[in-house]
Amino acid sequence: MKTLMVVCGSGVATSTVVEGKIRDFLESKGVLDKVKLLKGNIAEQINNIDDYDAFVSTTVVPDDVKDKVISGLPLLTGMGADKVYDEILQKLDLN
Amino acid sequence: MLFDKKVVLFDKNPSTKTEALTELADELYKVGAVTKEYAPAILKRESSFPTGLMTQTMGVAIPHCDPDKVIVPQIGFMRLKESITFHQMGDNTKIPVNMIFMLALKQSDSQLTMLQKLMALFQNQEAMNTLQSITSIDEFILVMKKNGIINLD
Repeated sequence: MKTLMVVCGSGVATSTVVEGKIRDFLESKGVLDKVKLLKGNIAEQINNIDDYDAFVSTTVVPDDVKDKVISGLPLLTGMGADKVYDEILQKLDLN
Repeated sequence: MLFDKKVVLFDKNPSTKTEALTELADELYKVGAVTKEYAPAILKRESSFPTGLMTQTMGVAIPHCDPDKVIVPQIGFMRLKESITFHQMGDNTKIPVNMIFMLALKQSDSQLTMLQKLMALFQNQEAMNTLQSITSIDEFILVMKKNGIINLD
């Protein structure tokens, strides 16, 4: 089972939206049962970043972990969403 | 329902982001939707985790904070006469914002559909144009209903 964590500043609003979008996408690819989707806030999860196969954030992350984080922003604005989905599949080894 | 306190403000002209957020948060406090701590929490959160979004149609902001400052779930709306600079969520770039949707939400899962519809609204040019031109709260509520952000009754 692969794990994917979605975080935002509060763990309430935008991470919920992004998690929903990713869930729909994984389902459309028929791989939803291979992934455990989790949701949280950045302050609590940033130190656990290495525990997850993929880490998606809608908020700013510290520079030292930037490379490990997929920006979830395009899933909110609708611009460049395909690229984000590709990155997610890659991190989860599902492509 | 989410807009029943009618915190819907048109063509406000605050000079800064802080002023805009404070005014909108104060209105939500006045109608009893949030606690006194909501406004300072919103400002604090906006500075550490900005909520501007440059969408396909225009710049919007969706300020919000932890649910413990919320008494009754509600969304406050402010349309700005002239755009104000906000920072974008995720990458901190400066963007011009024309509309603010201030979210006062309790737990998230029940509100997933509403939030998704709200994001879809931002990408709907026609609906956003309508929001730019309407002048009454009733018209505003109608747009929210048409776009599924609040339920048709």
